[in-house]
Amino acid sequence: MSAPAAAPAEAPARPVQVKLVLLGESAVGKSSVVLRFCQNDFQANKEPTIGAAFLTQRCRLEDKVIKFEIWDTAGQERFRSLSPMYYRNAQAAVVVYDVTKSASLEQAKTWVKELQRQANPNIVIALAGNKVDLVRPSSDSDEPSTPTSATSDDDEADDATATPEDDAAEGGDEEGAVAASESRRQVSREEAEEYAKECGLLFFETSAKTGEGVVEVFTEIAKKIPLDHILASTRGPGGAAGRGAGRGGPAAGGASVNLNEEESAKKDACAC
Amino acid sequence: MSSTLRRQQNKSYYVEPTKEDLFRLAFALPEGEEALGEVHAVLTLQGKQEAFSGKLYLSTSFLTFTSLDRRSCRLTLPLATVRRVEKLAPGQDGTIAGAFALSLTLFHGLRIVVQLNSLRPTNDAFCANLRTRLKASLPMMKALKPFSHTFFSEWYLSPDRELDGEAAAAKKQQDEKVGELISFDDEKGKGKEEEQREFTTEGDTGHGYHGGLGLIFKFPGDPRKLREKSKMKLWKEYLEQHGRNLTLIRYPSFTRLVLVGLPNRLRGEMWELTCGSMFLRLHNPGVYARLLKENAGRRSASTDDIEKDLHRSLPEYAAYQDKVGIDTMRRVLTAYSWSNPALGYCQAMNLITASFLIYMSEEQCFWCLTVLCDRLLPGYYSPSMYGTVLDQRVFEHLVQRCLPSIHDHFAEADVQLSVASLPWFLSLYISSLPMVFAFRIIDCFFLMGPKVLFQVGLAILKVNGPELLQTTDDGAFINVLKRYFATLGESAHPNSSDSRTRQITKFQELFVVAFREFAIITDETIASERKRFRAEVVISIETFAKRSAIRNLKDTGRLDKAQLGLAYDHFQLASLRSKEQARRPSAADALSPKPPNSTGASPRTPSSASFGGGSGPKDEEKVEERIDRKAFGRFLGDIASWARDEKLVKNGFHEHIDRQPVDHELVDRIFVYWDQSLSGALSFQDIVTGLDAVLFNDLMSNLAWLFNVHDSNHDGYLTKDEVLQVSESLLFIFRNEPGDRYLGSVSNLIQNLFEYAESTKPEENPPRSPSLGRSPDPSTGRPRANSIVSDNPHRPYLALATFRMCILADPLLEDFFESDLTNSWRLEVLIAEEKPKQPGAGGAVGGWWGGIVNAVMTDENKERLNRLADEVGKRLDIQTIEHRPSIGKLDAAAAAIEPQARDSLFSTSNRPPKQPASPEIPNPLSAAAMRMPAYPPTSNPWADASSSGSSSPNLGRHEIDVQAAASQALHRQQFVIDDVAEGDDEDYAGGEGDAELMNQVERMLVEDEAVTGKAAQSGQDLLKQDGQSLL
Repeated sequence: MSAPAAAPAEAPARPVQVKLVLLGESAVGKSSVVLRFCQNDFQANKEPTIGAAFLTQRCRLEDKVIKFEIWDTAGQERFRSLSPMYYRNAQAAVVVYDVTKSASLEQAKTWVKELQRQANPNIVIALAGNKVDLVRPSSDSDEPSTPTSATSDDDEADDATATPEDDAAEGGDEEGAVAASESRRQVSREEAEEYAKECGLLFFETSAKTGEGVVEVFTEIAKKIPLDHILASTRGPGGAAGRGAGRGGPAAGGASVNLNEEESAKKDACAC
Repeated sequence: MSSTLRRQQNKSYYVEPTKEDLFRLAFALPEGEEALGEVHAVLTLQGKQEAFSGKLYLSTSFLTFTSLDRRSCRLTLPLATVRRVEKLAPGQDGTIAGAFALSLTLFHGLRIVVQLNSLRPTNDAFCANLRTRLKASLPMMKALKPFSHTFFSEWYLSPDRELDGEAAAAKKQQDEKVGELISFDDEKGKGKEEEQREFTTEGDTGHGYHGGLGLIFKFPGDPRKLREKSKMKLWKEYLEQHGRNLTLIRYPSFTRLVLVGLPNRLRGEMWELTCGSMFLRLHNPGVYARLLKENAGRRSASTDDIEKDLHRSLPEYAAYQDKVGIDTMRRVLTAYSWSNPALGYCQAMNLITASFLIYMSEEQCFWCLTVLCDRLLPGYYSPSMYGTVLDQRVFEHLVQRCLPSIHDHFAEADVQLSVASLPWFLSLYISSLPMVFAFRIIDCFFLMGPKVLFQVGLAILKVNGPELLQTTDDGAFINVLKRYFATLGESAHPNSSDSRTRQITKFQELFVVAFREFAIITDETIASERKRFRAEVVISIETFAKRSAIRNLKDTGRLDKAQLGLAYDHFQLASLRSKEQARRPSAADALSPKPPNSTGASPRTPSSASFGGGSGPKDEEKVEERIDRKAFGRFLGDIASWARDEKLVKNGFHEHIDRQPVDHELVDRIFVYWDQSLSGALSFQDIVTGLDAVLFNDLMSNLAWLFNVHDSNHDGYLTKDEVLQVSESLLFIFRNEPGDRYLGSVSNLIQNLFEYAESTKPEENPPRSPSLGRSPDPSTGRPRANSIVSDNPHRPYLALATFRMCILADPLLEDFFESDLTNSWRLEVLIAEEKPKQPGAGGAVGGWWGGIVNAVMTDENKERLNRLADEVGKRLDIQTIEHRPSIGKLDAAAAAIEPQARDSLFSTSNRPPKQPASPEIPNPLSAAAMRMPAYPPTSNPWADASSSGSSSPNLGRHEIDVQAAASQALHRQQFVIDDVAEGDDEDYAGGEGDAELMNQVERMLVEDEAVTGKAAQSGQDLLKQDGQSLL
C-alpha cells in the first residue's frame, strides 16, 4: 500500500499500457467516440464495426504516460457472445449508450452486469451517454466549428432514419427548436447518473460530434486505474520482485496483516 | 434423456447433410433437385481436342458433369437449355467404335458429345430418364430466352452489338446506365417496364441485361491497371468457345481466367454462375419482387438494424452517398431478412451486399446473398453466429497444424488469432483488405468454395510470419496486419534486380502462397475439421447463452444456481422441441425461399399491423426466448410427475419407460397463472417465478397455490365451476395411482366443498385468508349482494379458508399437499457431465441384448431401438405395459386396503404410515437416465459399426484425412497458373493488350517460382525458429 509513491519515481517516462474496451448497443457511437479521442475527428457515416477495431492513443496524466489500447467492439446483439474475447484482461471499459434511445441504456446495464461478473474483477467501468449534441439547443450543435458541417447535418438525418418512431412521436406536437431537441432525449442525466452511482461507475455525457466530454472519459479512467499496479505487473517478475525484496521477500500472496508482521519483525531485527 | 438436450441443441445448429444435400452442394443446384442417375462418361466439346473423363449426373432439371479430378472440367446445365439430343452412330464424331455416345446441342448452339462408359443397362436407364426429364423441362424453355437477356454476356456476344462496331459499342458502354434491376415475368417483355418503376429509379440500359451500380457510379479500381480490356477480350474468346451463362462449361482455362481477376462487367454474372445463385433466380421468377411487395412497410428488429447500417456501408463509394444506392441496398437486405426471418440481418451482411451490388442487379444480389448465407457459410450470420465461431476454431487449428511456430508464439504471448481473423471470414475480407483485392478473393471464393477463406488467411499469416513472431500482444498483431494490408498493391520484391520480379505485387504473392502452399487445405479438410469442433463450439455457445440468461433474470426467487441451471435446461429443451416441430413440415423447402407468409419459423416477428403508426413497442421487439402453451405442456411433463404418463414397457428383451406429457385443463391454468405479462407465452423469468412458487412449498402454501391457480379472477374466491375444476385437477393428478383411495378422497372432498361453501350462508362475512398471494380487489373481492342468483356459476363461492379446512379433513389429501405435491416437481439433470463414454457402464442389463443396448445407446438410436423392441415384443406377444403412478405413494398393497378409509371422512385414525417421498423412490427414470453413457452426440456408433465394421475410433479418422490430403498434395496436378505458360500460350497469342495480360499471368508464374524458392526459404526459417524455440 505504500508502494505508489515509490513506483513512478523509478520509471517516469515508461508508458503504462491500459487495455480499454468499448461496449454498447449498435449505432450509439462507440467508434465515433474512439475516433474523436484518438484522432480528434468525426465522420458522419462511420462503418459499423465487424468484430472489433483496434486503436491506440497515448496521453499524459501528470507525470505518467499512458498508452490506451482501445478495442472498439461491434454493437449488434448477435456479436455479444464474441465480446469476452475483447474484454478479457481489460483494465477499463467504456459502456456507451445513446441519450436519445432509452433502450440503449437498458442494453448498457446488461453490459455492466456482464462486465462485473465476467471481466477482470478490478476493471474500471465508465458509463457514457453519447449524442448529447442532439438534445442540446440547436444553436450549439448545428453550427459546429467542425469543417464538415454539411455532412454533420446528414448525420442527424441518419440518426432520424435510424429511429423513425422517435421522430414520429415528437415531430408534430413540439414547438421551438429548444423544446424539440430537448424532447429527443429519452434518458435523463439524473436517471443515468443515479444508476452509475449505484453501480460504482464513472459517469459522463458525451458528444463525439462536438467532442464534448470525450477526453474527460479517458482522463477520469486514467485517474481511477491503479496505474502503478499495472506498471509493476507488466514490468515482469524482476520489477515486481524489487519491492518485495526490499521488504525481506515476503511471499507474494501475503495479505496486509502479514505485511505488518513482517515489518514489525524487521523492526525488531533492526533494533537488535 | 440426459443427452436429449445436447442432441436438440446440436440439431438446432447443424443438421448432417444427406447424400442428396451433398450432391446439390457439389453442383450448386437449387434445393429440391434430386439425383436421378449417374454414368461414367467422357465429355468433349465440339471443335476442341480435349476430352475429359468423368461422371455425368442427371437430376430433376439439370444435367451435370465433373471430370475425375473434380476440377478440370465441370458443367451444370439446366435441361431446358438442351435443344437437341442425338444418339451418335458408332465412330461418328470421333467416338470410339461401338461406344454409346450422345450429342447434345445447346441453347447457344454449342454441341457437346458425351460418351457413356457405364454398363449398357445403366446407360439405357440413364438415357430413358434423360428423355423423361427433358420432356418435363419443356415449359421452362419458353422462359429461357427472356431470361438469357438478363445476362451481360448475352448482350456482349450478340451479333447486334457487333454491328455497331467495337469502337462504337465501347463508347456506348461508357454512358451506359444500370441494367435492368429486376427480372421480368416470363414472356411479358413489355410488362417489365411497369414493374421496373416500382423498384428502380434508374433507366434501362436499353439492352435489358442486369448490371450493378458500378455501371452508373464506376467500378472501383483503375480499369487500366486492372487490364479490363484484355480481360474482356480473353473472356469473349472463352465464352464463344465454351458457352455462356446458363450453358457455360468450365474448362481449365476458366479457373485461370477467374484467378487473374474477373473483369468488372462480367463479375456479377460470373459470381452468380459460380455460386449457383443463377439457377435460383431462374427457378424463382418474381419471388424477389413479391417479397418486397408483400412486406412493404413492415418493420422488424432486423429492418431497424438494417436502417442503422445503410448509411455506413462502403460510405466512400459514390453510389452509397446517393439515394439510388441506399434504396437498392435496403431492398436487398430487407428482402433477405423477410425470406429468412430466423437469420434476419447481421452486421457484415451490409458490407457484403454493398459490394455485390456494385457488380450485380438487386435481384441477382438477393439470390447470391441467399446462397452465401444459407449454403456457403451456414450459421455465419445467424443470431448465435455459430458458423463464424466454428470456423474460427477450425482456422486456429489449421494454423496450429500448418504454421506451428506462429501458433506456439501466439499461445505464449497470449495473442488471440480471431481478433484479426474473425472479420476476414465474416466479411469475406472486405472489411480488412482494399476493395479491389477483396473482390479477387471473392472471385475465387465463389469458384472454389469456403476453403479459399482459410487458404488466404493462412497465407496472410505465413507471408507475415517473421514479423508476427516478434509481436507480443493483440494490438501489435493487428498493427502488423494493418500495415501489410495497406501495402498489398506494392511490389513484393522492391529491391530485386529483375524488373519482372519487381513488378510482382504483394497481393500476387499472397495468392500464390494461398493456392499453392495451402492447396493441402481441401473441402474435405474443412468438413472434417468442422465436424471435429462442432460439439465443442455448440457447448461453448450454449453455456454462454445460459449464463447470460440466468444473469439477466430480474428475480431468481429462492432457486439456487444449480436449480436455475436446470430450469434453464428444461426451458430450452421445451423451446427447441417446439421449434423442431414447427420446422418439420417445411423441411423439404428449407433452402428454396418460401413465400414470406408461409415461413413457419418466425414466431416472434412482429406482424405488419403493429407498426402502422410508427410507434411500435420498441423494446418488445427484442427477440426473447419464450415458450408457448404447447411447449409448456412438454416442459411441465418433464418436471412434474403428474403431468406425464409413464409406461413401463417390458417386451421380453428389455424394459424401457415411455414418457408422454399429458394435457389437461390444469396445465392450461398453470400456464395462464405463470404468464405474468399475459403475452400468451412464457419467458424464462416467468418460468423461474413460477417454479419459485412450487418448489419450496409447505402444506399451507401448496393449498394456496392450487387454490390460486384455479381462481381465474384472483378475487380470493372460487366459483362453483372452479370448485369442480379443482376436483377435476386433483383427479387428473391422481389418475395413475393404484386403487380407489384417491378417488374416494376426492369425491368426499367435492361433497364437503359444496356443503361448506360460503355462498350457502351469504350473510356471513367469509374469513379472508392472510396467505393469499394476490389479495382481492376490495371493490370486487367481496361476495356481492346478489346471492339470490344462487345458481350463477360465476358467483364467488368458496374461500381459501374453507377449501383448506375441507382438504385438511382428509389425511390422504393432507399428505399430498404437505409433501407429495412439492416432491412431484423435479428438475432433472438434462446434461450429464460431459465425460468420455465408458463402455460397459450399463453392463447390468446383461446378456447379448444388453450389449446391443449399450452399443447403440445414443439417444436417437435408443428411441429407434425401443420402437423396434416393442414391435418385436408385440409380435411375440410378450410385451407388457404398466402405467406407472405419478405420486407413487400407495403401492398395490396399500391400495388394496383402501375401502375402509372411505367411511370415516374426518377421522385421522387410519392415516397410512407416512412415507416421505424421498428423491430416489418416485423417479426411477432419472436414475435410468443417469446410467446412460454420454456419447458425443455427433458420433454414431451404430452407423460406424455397420458401415466400416472396423472399430477405429473417430479421432483416428481425421488424422487419416489429413495424411491423405497431404499425400494428395504431393502428387497434385500442377498449379493452374503453371499451365497458363506451358499449354496455352498459343491460345492467347494475339493482340497487344492480351500480351500485357499474359505478362501478368506470366509474372504470376515467375512469382510462383520465386515464391516456391522463397517459401522454401521462409519455411526453413520458420523451421529454424521452431528448432530454436524447441531448444
